[in-house]
Amino acid sequence: MIVIMKAKAEEEDVNQVIDAIKSLGLRTQLNFGAERVVVAVIGDISKIGEENFFRIRAMKGVENTVFVSKPYKLVSKDFKNEQTVIDVDGVKIGGKKIVVFAGPCSVENREQIMEVAEKIKKAGASMIRGGAFKPRTSPKDFQGLGEEGLKLLYEAKEETGLPIVTEIMDARDVGLLSEYADVLQVGTRNMQNYTLLKELGKCDKPILLKRGMWATMAEFLGAAEYIINGGNENVILCERGIRTFSDFSRNTLDLSIIPAIKDESHLPIISDPSHGTGRRSLVLPMSKASVACGADGLLIETHPNPDKAISDADQTISLSAFSKLMEDIKNITKAVGREV
Amino acid sequence: MIIVMKLGVDESQVQETIQKIKDLGFNTHLSKGENRTIIGVIGDVSSIDESDVERLRATPYIEEVVRVSKPYKLVSRDFNKEDTVINVDGIEIGGKKIVVMAGPCTVESKDQIINIAREVKNSGATILRGGAFKPRTSPKDFQGLGKEGLEFLAAAKEETGLPIVTEVMDTRDVKLVSEYADILQVGTRNMQNYALLKELGKYDKPVLLKRGMWATLKEFLSAAEYILAGGNNNVMLCERGIRTFSDFTRNTLDLSIVPVLKKESHLPVIVDPSHGTGRRDIVKSMTLAAIACGADGVTIEAHTDPQKAISDADQTISTLDLHELMGEIKYISRMFGREI
Repeated sequence: MIVIMKAKAEEEDVNQVIDAIKSLGLRTQLNFGAERVVVAVIGDISKIGEENFFRIRAMKGVENTVFVSKPYKLVSKDFKNEQTVIDVDGVKIGGKKIVVFAGPCSVENREQIMEVAEKIKKAGASMIRGGAFKPRTSPKDFQGLGEEGLKLLYEAKEETGLPIVTEIMDARDVGLLSEYADVLQVGTRNMQNYTLLKELGKCDKPILLKRGMWATMAEFLGAAEYIINGGNENVILCERGIRTFSDFSRNTLDLSIIPAIKDESHLPIISDPSHGTGRRSLVLPMSKASVACGADGLLIETHPNPDKAISDADQTISLSAFSKLMEDIKNITKAVGREV
Repeated sequence: MIIVMKLGVDESQVQETIQKIKDLGFNTHLSKGENRTIIGVIGDVSSIDESDVERLRATPYIEEVVRVSKPYKLVSRDFNKEDTVINVDGIEIGGKKIVVMAGPCTVESKDQIINIAREVKNSGATILRGGAFKPRTSPKDFQGLGKEGLEFLAAAKEETGLPIVTEVMDTRDVKLVSEYADILQVGTRNMQNYALLKELGKYDKPVLLKRGMWATLKEFLSAAEYILAGGNNNVMLCERGIRTFSDFTRNTLDLSIVPVLKKESHLPVIVDPSHGTGRRDIVKSMTLAAIACGADGVTIEAHTDPQKAISDADQTISTLDLHELMGEIKYISRMFGREI
């Protein structure tokens, strides 16, 4: 951490800051610039904590305080330099193969989920996705089938062998969901639900962590750090679009984060072009772009009859469009030296 | 255009509104729902002046006025189904070929630009970029070499045969810059400099129009409409990143706009991954992603010694890296049935 003093700060102000830092058991180093003094803090910065960080910022003569070191460690490449590969029932995520998770936004009934499972399996998908517990913007919207939905997903898995990824919203549900699901998904709205993240750190299921639609890269990696810190190293990151002023798409798919995360972290990262664009016609081109910039996988919403899907109809592609997508991404997958 | 009346309006207010529309020369279609009354305006509403729309919107008993038709016409696919292919000195932009524009942010000296131009030519890129008039955030920053910079660019063209794209910022410079440049670039900050757009409409020089970092899709296409409306059909659209909260990149490269623009408009679409990310280390990945989602070309900042570049050093790749990148661009372009 560095403390930037105001140009007009007095020697007394600087000394007060130094005392405050020393009282935390840390050392300081002074830098005298032409205009102002900068106090660098040396030692285990994690001792500072957010409260002291802002307390020092509020001290007399202080212009600003800046954290220089990163708010995460376990997720970073500095800590572990080899790519993490997560094995889910034989499906390897983070390896050479591009992993495609596909399925409806919500599990609606047996017929629907069975048809989806069969068709996506045939098209080459590696896992089935489907929501049983749904985070919906309005409390009056359909909230998902709950455990009944989990049982239907499990039937689909028995039929096709496709592992299941489904969303968890409540720390109390970890036990229940773990009985059925192979990968637990944390949705965008829960990216900073720390109670949930801590609970997931204790379980042994791989976690698919979606980026909060408001989250910076440091906050995203900070959230993953929570899970790993708890003891669960199997975290898959997912870019799903951020909130911006740009209104032609539901969210702005921030694809640059894929190579940036590959540079920064050893965790696998996949892309969700369905939520990331909110538009059916963009799912294919943005799937290609995701693979081109290095994504380890794709999360695609597909439904036997997208127009009649209970939720996310606008961004859900038909099963035949999904089959075509799997064909169409083969070229690009090959071009970047990967396979699907 | 649709006029949504407020809840509880009386018949006289509805009739008054209908009369206002008739006075503007349009017919109406009345639709009374259980709660609300909606008036549809029939005819070519693009001729309704924005000030008339504002006046309607400000009427106390009107809830909302929604323009259904688009604020642009000449740039749209509805108007021209065929892809516009722009010929610059024999290089076709918007056709089968992927065009690569490369060069430094700023023309620094005659030697610098000629050396870079040679490397750009050797790499296989087809157009030389370089700024002579520079829009810099601080007035104290280097503002570019001006006319001398244009002369150096011309010398580099003479040496290598590469056509030139360079920025024009002032209506009074359009004629001068046109004498040297093959493509005139409108920078992001000038996307809604209507005086400049109108002036460019009077020339037949191709224009590379960069998206305003604050601009919606509609605003971007409307800016292009200004140039076409003036009589110049040779406009290339360029996505260069938008302003968001996400801070690991300089801007957020909104690649989803590429397939949307290709569908919505007949104009060629170029991507600028250098400004779009501001990070040298991810320029390559985002270049490949841009081509994968359908871009007609890219513009890349490259320098023989990026560390010493006067401006944009962080996002400028070395000409050595450009050589390598061209190889990958060629490969991926072939995969999509395109070529360099």
